Amino acid sequence: MIMRNLSIVAMLLTAVLLAAPGYAQNLTIDLAPARSNPSAPKMGDHLAFESVITNTSSTPVDGLIAWISLLRVDPGREQPMDLEDWSAQKAVAETRVEPGQSIKTLWPVRLIQSGDYRVVISALGRNVEGVTTSRFVEFAVLPKRVVESSRILPVALGMPLAIGTLLIWRLRRLRRRSA
Amino acid sequence: MKGPLLLARKESAELLLGSRGWVWLLAMSAVLSVFGLLLVSDTELSLLDNAQVVYDMAGTVTALGAALAVVIGSDAIAGERERGTLVPLLLTPMSRPEIVLGKIGGQLAAWTVMYMISLPYFWAVGSNGQNLAAGVAIVGWLGTPVVLGFGLLAIGLSCRTALARTSLLTTLIILILSASPILLGPSLRQSAVGKAFDAVNPFSGALNAYDLVLIDSMPLAAQWPYFLVALAWLGLMTWFAVGGIRRVQR
Repeated sequence: MIMRNLSIVAMLLTAVLLAAPGYAQNLTIDLAPARSNPSAPKMGDHLAFESVITNTSSTPVDGLIAWISLLRVDPGREQPMDLEDWSAQKAVAETRVEPGQSIKTLWPVRLIQSGDYRVVISALGRNVEGVTTSRFVEFAVLPKRVVESSRILPVALGMPLAIGTLLIWRLRRLRRRSA
Repeated sequence: MKGPLLLARKESAELLLGSRGWVWLLAMSAVLSVFGLLLVSDTELSLLDNAQVVYDMAGTVTALGAALAVVIGSDAIAGERERGTLVPLLLTPMSRPEIVLGKIGGQLAAWTVMYMISLPYFWAVGSNGQNLAAGVAIVGWLGTPVVLGFGLLAIGLSCRTALARTSLLTTLIILILSASPILLGPSLRQSAVGKAFDAVNPFSGALNAYDLVLIDSMPLAAQWPYFLVALAWLGLMTWFAVGGIRRVQR
């Protein structure tokens, strides 16, 4: 019994020590797609994701920063995406989040390339140990043809051909005149 | 106003009905065709890859237009002097600024034809992409003062040099320097020197506006600072060309 009590005390002590001085542990992030999102988004469409970051600890979180990450998960093409062109809002910052306070954020995303993606929101506070992440939200972007070969080929081949033909015709006409 | 109009018509006819102009248009068309054909084999293009090609095309059209304006402008006065036709031109009832106006009218006609030839290419490449109409519009709005400014610079130098070749070489060097942002990566342009160069260079201004409209989907109206830079460039070069032709002795 004494041993059992001692082990419980030791576990509690370890937990307190691991919590580190003054660190709030309990940030939670809920992430969901916006209701206005199209059901079958394609390249060029806009999506939005709503996140709610809540400080569930009893101490304030200072210097909160939250950011969006986008991962492509198509088999064989797994890679983190550069958000440069996908989203103008890549991060939000909050000076202080009081205990129980929630920060709601809308993350607009413009769909640049087709594929399967996962979006995740991560958050970090100055006095929070480690990174808190939301669950992944998955979405697929349907392809849209951005190049029509049937349009390019006639123009790319036809224009120089037409100008070249006119040039030859003019040169011949000039030669005939001078002859 | 009849004199400059007649001169502009003569200049544009010499250029566009002569073989030199057609060879130029053929070269431009070939360059744009290569751009277009590069895309055909690529089936995995993103919206931005497409916009990037349209942006490159817009920059190339402007650069080729400016190069043509430089070639024509260099020949405007020095070429007339070499051919012995300068004195008859100066003896016409037109004032000196009107001669510059007539000469630049010919360049405007050449640029208009080049712009028109580029339109099918823009449509073929960018009609399924983004911001095509705005992109085509900004090439017209910003490309025109930039191109004509280089033409006027060449005219101004042509008045001040004895040989058309000297004027052509000097203006081409200035044009290559101005158009260097086409080749420089964004990181180099972010340095202090790069930013200062961008701020005063009308060509950089045009490219930046093309980038903002075509790739970053910014509104056309927001590009007015670049338009002001292009207009200032056109005004400065008009002053330079008019000042140059006033110096020309019969």
